[in-house]
Amino acid sequence: METSIMRKFKVNTAAKPKEPTKEQMVRYKDFATISHQYQRLTKRPKKPLYKDPKLFLLLLVIGIVILLICLEA
Amino acid sequence: MTEAEELELARQDHRHFGVVYERYFEQIYRFIFKRLGGDEAVAGDLVQQTFMKAMANLSKYEDRGLPFSAWLYRIAQNEVNMFFRAQKKHYFVEINDRQLTGLLEETAGSHTFSQEDLEQLVAIINNLEEPQSDLIELRFFQEMSFRDIAEIYNISEANAKMRLYRLLEKIKHQWKPAL
Repeated sequence: METSIMRKFKVNTAAKPKEPTKEQMVRYKDFATISHQYQRLTKRPKKPLYKDPKLFLLLLVIGIVILLICLEA
Repeated sequence: MTEAEELELARQDHRHFGVVYERYFEQIYRFIFKRLGGDEAVAGDLVQQTFMKAMANLSKYEDRGLPFSAWLYRIAQNEVNMFFRAQKKHYFVEINDRQLTGLLEETAGSHTFSQEDLEQLVAIINNLEEPQSDLIELRFFQEMSFRDIAEIYNISEANAKMRLYRLLEKIKHQWKPAL
């Protein structure tokens, strides 16, 4: 299904053609932010999850509980 | 260093993309700003998204002899269209009679126009399909050359002229001279 475009033109004879000012452009020029966002989006976690001590402990406890349940059964 | 070398460096490490960002930011911002009819904050968001997408897809970019800016314009064009499509209500972009003059001369073949003529022409443009109204916008409101339009659409200049010629014929067909 084709989505219709919601942009419509409107005549305003008093309107001046819109041009951004230098100040406006400077306000939005920010490579550091997009570089940081890009890095966050694409970078893999430094430490694999299983090497996380807390997570490792949790997995160990879960493993022991499962083992105990199996032995009990 | 050539632009191709800069892009190759940016593919290896995204931080090198900053040079390209510096070079093209203003022209892409200006393009988006004008398409939006002057909304500086939304233009600011969309220009950042444009560069973010360009950076993320840089590995897919192939140099086929077209300027890199054409690829950026294409991404920006898509970003703005996605923004328009996502709107719940109509998003109005104001244009003045001066911006419509060239188009009116082409379609009505006259140099003097009434307010009704302007309204009628805008109504016709508003009823066109998205790619057609985009083409009108690029040529007459953004005042882009056929060469630039051809590069954005990745078509030949002759093809761009032909598309516009057919479109103007369509508008002429719908045009009703004021009595």
